Amino acid sequence: MKVDVVMPKMGESVNEGTIIKWHKKKGDKVEKDEIIFEISTDKVDTEIPSPEDGVLIDIKAYEQETVDVGTVVAVIQTSGGTDDSQEETEEQTEEKIEEEPASTTQVGGELVDIIMPKMGESVMEGTIIKWHKKVGDKIEKDEIIFEISTDKVDTEVPSPEAGILAEINVAENETVEVDTVVARLSTSGGIVKEKKSEPKKEQLAESKTEIKKEEPKEIKQQPGKDLSVGKSDRFYSPVVVNIARSENISFDELESLDGSGADGRVTKKDVMDYLETRKGGGAAQPSQSKPKVQQTAAEKSEDAKFSAGEGIELIPMDNIRKRIMYHMVNSRDTSVHVTAVLEADVSKIHTFIQENRERFLQNTGVKLTYMPFIAYACIKALQKYPYVNASIDENNIVLKKFINLGIAVAVEPNGLIVPNIKKADEKSILGLTKAILELSNKSRGKGLTPDDIMDGTFTITNYGVFGSLFGTPIINQPEVGILGIGAVQKKPVVVEVDGTDSIAIKSMMYLSLSHDHRLVDGMLGGKFLIEIKDALENFDTNLV
Amino acid sequence: MAKSFDIAVLGGGPGGYVAAIRAAQLGYKTAVIDKDNLGGICLNWGCIPTKSLLKNAELYDSIKNHGEEFGIKVEGLSYDFSKIIQRSRDVSDKVTKGVEFLMKKNKIERFRGYGKLKSKNEIQILDENDNEIELVKADKIIIATGARPKQVPAIPVDYKNIITSKEAMSLDKMPDELIVIGAGAIGVEFAYFYSVLGAKVTIIEMLDRVVPVEDKEVSDTLARSFKKRGIKIYTNTKVEKAVVKGKSVLVTIEKNGKKEELKAGKVLNAIGVTGNVEGFGLEELRVELFKNHIKVDKATYRTNIENIYAIGDVIGPPWLAHVASAEGVQCIEKIHGMHIPDIDYNSIPGCTYCQPQVASIGLSEEKAKADGYEIKIGKFPFSASGKSAAIGEREGFVKLIFNAKYGELLGAHIIGAEATELIAELGIAKSHEATYESIIQTVHAHPTLSESIMEAAANAYGEAINI
Repeated sequence: MKVDVVMPKMGESVNEGTIIKWHKKKGDKVEKDEIIFEISTDKVDTEIPSPEDGVLIDIKAYEQETVDVGTVVAVIQTSGGTDDSQEETEEQTEEKIEEEPASTTQVGGELVDIIMPKMGESVMEGTIIKWHKKVGDKIEKDEIIFEISTDKVDTEVPSPEAGILAEINVAENETVEVDTVVARLSTSGGIVKEKKSEPKKEQLAESKTEIKKEEPKEIKQQPGKDLSVGKSDRFYSPVVVNIARSENISFDELESLDGSGADGRVTKKDVMDYLETRKGGGAAQPSQSKPKVQQTAAEKSEDAKFSAGEGIELIPMDNIRKRIMYHMVNSRDTSVHVTAVLEADVSKIHTFIQENRERFLQNTGVKLTYMPFIAYACIKALQKYPYVNASIDENNIVLKKFINLGIAVAVEPNGLIVPNIKKADEKSILGLTKAILELSNKSRGKGLTPDDIMDGTFTITNYGVFGSLFGTPIINQPEVGILGIGAVQKKPVVVEVDGTDSIAIKSMMYLSLSHDHRLVDGMLGGKFLIEIKDALENFDTNLV
Repeated sequence: MAKSFDIAVLGGGPGGYVAAIRAAQLGYKTAVIDKDNLGGICLNWGCIPTKSLLKNAELYDSIKNHGEEFGIKVEGLSYDFSKIIQRSRDVSDKVTKGVEFLMKKNKIERFRGYGKLKSKNEIQILDENDNEIELVKADKIIIATGARPKQVPAIPVDYKNIITSKEAMSLDKMPDELIVIGAGAIGVEFAYFYSVLGAKVTIIEMLDRVVPVEDKEVSDTLARSFKKRGIKIYTNTKVEKAVVKGKSVLVTIEKNGKKEELKAGKVLNAIGVTGNVEGFGLEELRVELFKNHIKVDKATYRTNIENIYAIGDVIGPPWLAHVASAEGVQCIEKIHGMHIPDIDYNSIPGCTYCQPQVASIGLSEEKAKADGYEIKIGKFPFSASGKSAAIGEREGFVKLIFNAKYGELLGAHIIGAEATELIAELGIAKSHEATYESIIQTVHAHPTLSESIMEAAANAYGEAINI
């Protein structure tokens, strides 16, 4: 039969206890009177012995959890038929208060750390933008727990295990370093409630376990926890520090403020004024150790000095927008952009798509579009002209023996991201079709991984889908070229058939190539474009 | 024959003399002009002499009313009123002489006479007959002429029966009955003093409570304490008229439409103060005024005239000596081009020296709420303090008001023994933007009254130990 093990009442006015250590884990055999866990209450710390011989089949409270007296914290499956548990537990507990702890290294009630993932080589920190779960929520393996935003991508982080979210250590909008434990998951199952009060100080000291608080709100009250002031020579008053915590002002932001107080000290008023500006414009928000270029961009918008009022609404930029701003300005300031345009006759592909759309969809489950054909043609051209598939590193030309083809994806309502198809040169039209579809789905569903956006070698951007005929795209650094695809339109064109000029109606598309003149000159750019044009116009449909 | 200075300060009170010293320290050739002893009202007819009187009252009060409790027996306890007054005058003389010395020490030229602005760069020094003794020229002029008791037609001060604070601290005979009009700091201090010495004291206040600038709980506690002493208090009461009849004054009061006539040998007009802006040439120079005070920019203390500055009571509330001194230093340092933070007028301590003492800084509970703050209040009664029990001063409490959102100390209110000394800690806390944690985490010595501040802070967050 099953015997419940409850949190014993350890004194008259003691109504709750904290489990400080599980000596047994789920599935362990326990003997009667053997210590299964240690608790700490307002009055005493003590070890709780098993009421019966049997097997520990369930642990319902995790370490450091505080539960009310009488709460079932574990269940033991016994072979016999005795049925007591509660009273006996109490009695025995009291007898055993003075005893030495049974030495064991087995620990039940496991807590799994959930860390800030590393979202790319050079990404050292991430910002939690949303918690999808709260403390006490049951979580399935791979279920999304939180969303993060880094310099590279926004992404959702799934749970590594099934369990119950035991702690949240990092508040929304807080930025922490990679590998910081942002939450802990109790995998032991059972009840995890939100703690009513924080653990007693004595317990903190005695258990020598870092007791983290579940609510980000509470963390804020813990001095120096999320806003390390020690990094600076500057003094910040307690009120300033509290305001910064409550209003998610990062330490870097604080550091960037001009103080009006004695010796340039940042006063409460300075912070409150800053908050006002931030709420109002966002443009004045200092950057967090970003390259100089972004500051230039930020300064530029600062010059505008708009203030919200009649006819003007100020909307703070989100992370994505700020990153796009940074990347665009950075690219413009890095590469010497020149753009070449030509027109390609895509009638053949047009016809092919029209004729094969249904069949293709039926056979493969994906819709046939122009993109994979252009990608395919582009890859061929890149293979032929590897300098377009290159980068510049100081005075070196970096030739890449692989083609990771970037596809610019617009993300509603106001974003843009460029994931790339890894080893695109190894993919067929079908493979490219599927890859493009997958990347755009992932982009829109915040499912991109850092790998998806890193190490691109060349990019295609399709502004034609929005109706534009041609454009002058901005290069995705550190690449040296980007191909823009215009809208396909039927046009009367002069064609030469058997030596005679005549006018025909053709599906035409402008292709524009922005290339970095530092490396790719007009001749190479033109050759590259012609290569694509030829490939598109003479597409071998047997390839599909 | 004119003398030229960099800075001339008109008025030698706690604003003026401090400004003069600071100017001299920074290397300016400085003059200070005052027709009376230096030190102004504060040292001559205010803060210092009244604190001297109040000490007499406390001592007498302790022995008379609490001697038994401490096992001290005194038979035939009495006092010599003229000696009490004399001591107060002696104390005043001593400290004002100290200030005269400071002028010499700092090489500040001291002009004794009535200063009158002749132009924006010249001050005439006049004798009693308005003859020019000397002409002082200065690049910059700082007006620190202070304030005087406000007078209204309904209460015609004759300086004998209807008196102001100055007469009240230099009476030659102890009055039997005293009516105090106005329950601000000056009013309640004299009420306490004369009540302890045995006068029948009545306080009349137009607003709804005594010490109306303080937190309401403080006012209520003080009123209870005063009533216990036998002081009669009329609040929400207007004085219709005060008429001297023979050796006494008839005061007609009106409360809720009902009139009543009170009678006393002396009536103290303590309804407030007003700036000294008349008669010294301000009007001719078109220095801008507002409500009987000089209008200045409260960061630089400049008036509308480029090189004329004003500090202290003459620029308006809060009419406190320590504010005047702070403004004096600020004004000079800003003239000197120093980059210093402006005075935070929300962090000015206010002290009232009756018993129980009252001291406060920052916002009252009512004001904090009115300003839209979500607040947390921490209170600790001195009755729960060991030190209070030991010294037999169990009256009063510490009340702290925190901004619930950021834990910031918004206001502090203390009523009880040594309240005026205890408030200093909260001044530091406030100017350094402390939060409740800062106060709780500061170890306070035991046993002290100041522990109560720590306990009050803890109480706001349910963490108080000793209550």
